[in-house]
Amino acid sequence: MTVAWHEDQKRLTPDDVQAATFPVSRLGRRGYDEESVRAFLRDVEREIVTLMNEKVALWNEVERLRRRIISGAKSNGDGVLFGKEDAHVHAVRILSNAQLTADRYVADAQAYSHRLTEEARSRRDEILSQAQEHADMILEEASERAREAAIASLNSPTVASSSPQLESDRSALKAELAYLRAFGEVYRTHLRAYTEGMLRSIDEWERREAQSLEQTVPDPPGAPGLGGNGSGFR
Amino acid sequence: MDARRLKDSFSKVAMYGDEVPLFFYSDLFIRNPDVRDLFPISMRAQRDHLLAALGQIVSAFDRADELSAFLAGLGRDHRKFGAIAEHYDAVKDSLLTTIEHFCGDEWTPELAADWNTAYQTIADVMIAAAKKDEAVRPAFWKGSVIACEHRSFDISVLQVRPEPRLDYVPGQSVAVESPRRPRLWRYYSIANAPREDGTLDFHIRLVDGGSVSMALTQGHSVGDEIRIGPPVGALTLDTASGRDILMIGASTGLAPLKAMVEHVAALPRQPQVHLFFGARYADGLYDLPALEKLAAEHDWLNVVPAVSKDLRYKGETGSLPDVVTRHGNWSGHDVYLAGPTELVNEATARLTAAGTPRQQMHVEDFGWSES
Repeated sequence: MTVAWHEDQKRLTPDDVQAATFPVSRLGRRGYDEESVRAFLRDVEREIVTLMNEKVALWNEVERLRRRIISGAKSNGDGVLFGKEDAHVHAVRILSNAQLTADRYVADAQAYSHRLTEEARSRRDEILSQAQEHADMILEEASERAREAAIASLNSPTVASSSPQLESDRSALKAELAYLRAFGEVYRTHLRAYTEGMLRSIDEWERREAQSLEQTVPDPPGAPGLGGNGSGFR
Repeated sequence: MDARRLKDSFSKVAMYGDEVPLFFYSDLFIRNPDVRDLFPISMRAQRDHLLAALGQIVSAFDRADELSAFLAGLGRDHRKFGAIAEHYDAVKDSLLTTIEHFCGDEWTPELAADWNTAYQTIADVMIAAAKKDEAVRPAFWKGSVIACEHRSFDISVLQVRPEPRLDYVPGQSVAVESPRRPRLWRYYSIANAPREDGTLDFHIRLVDGGSVSMALTQGHSVGDEIRIGPPVGALTLDTASGRDILMIGASTGLAPLKAMVEHVAALPRQPQVHLFFGARYADGLYDLPALEKLAAEHDWLNVVPAVSKDLRYKGETGSLPDVVTRHGNWSGHDVYLAGPTELVNEATARLTAAGTPRQQMHVEDFGWSES
């Protein structure tokens, strides 16, 4: 049996105590009597050594008892320190600790997946409302441009016509046609750009989700099911 | 048997909280390793259930009728978990060991005898109820997932074929276990009236962090063999009342209501049915086309969709209770409600205030039966 304190460099050793020096206080200032300090340090050193020896002895005793418990399960002899029941309680403790560890893993995984879906949900709501705003903007802009085009076509001079009535009908139709063309074109262009942007985001999203799920989410866990956990709407 | 002594010893033991069921299950599994397979990976919820059930049993010890109804339900419920009569002895040994362990010096032969008698009484009622149930139906039904349709971001409709045929009343629900999450059961309403081919629809909302909803709807659940518990729940149609009907379904709370609408369709004479179907956004109205088709086929059915978060929506907007109360006075109607708890509670309160008698209102309720 090795002794743990040998490896533990940071702790105070008896040698440290013995080698300790203190600066002498300046003349005329109050200070402890040097010989008293020395004497006290010697006591401390002795005490530390005693404690360490006791610790080693106790550690050896623990190990001895541990070995006896293990062999006791087989031999059933008089030397057994703990009865069968105590060994059982020991086993129950070990299993309980293992179970608690498993519970914690499951709970962590569940919390992680909860956070992930919650974030995805709110991100989705955000994206949808942005998309809606964007669509409104596109519509408005297209309509504005089309109106300009229609006005321009109305103002442009036209070739001679047979009757004033026919002429005005014609230019009205022409204006409407110009409006619709301009509207359609602007709308299509914007929509295409926007859709392509969205598709790229979705690709990125899927790629990241696949990665993060593979890496981080273990088999998720159970949640309580007692009583009104709700039904389909859970 | 001294009930007072039993209660005293239990309240002392219960002070140790989670330590008690933790010790109990570890003891049970060390002595009976096979039994571990009957439980989920995480035992956290399980331990809470055990302590709660024990507390309920011990506190009801002098009210025999109430207790035996509770225990009979518990016994029947445990069939689907795979509990058999032999397990009851194993549980007794571990339970007594646990109580002895936490009682310490106060554990006496008399107290041991008390607990022994008490447990035997409890187990007898549970075993008898389970045995009686065995004659009537299987412990669980096997179900093959034949379709899983994603209807919106977080809602899917699952179609399942149970084996053997599962008989139920429209509006009832069943506990479901996915092979991907062994030993975790969740209740879902069946969303259709019984069909000739026996298939069942489930409307499943993906719960944030919800393990079972995720297992049922994500990935390739088609082809999965799930387990289905016996039908439960009292949200069923009162066909004798003669009153017209108001239905309020928020999100997948629609499921039991849709089953009941199909039930009404099969009646010889139909009452007027007003179905309010609400969601936060329009895409949450995941089953609206099917409902509108039903409404077009039946002149007794009126479907009102409502959206609470998107005011651009062309139909009704606002919270579901607001929309419902805007649409008139419902005091003469039978009311069926299902959805998230807060919404159901608010709607119930508003309708009560507006004069609908409590006994005309039917709300989703699973009570204690799942433990």
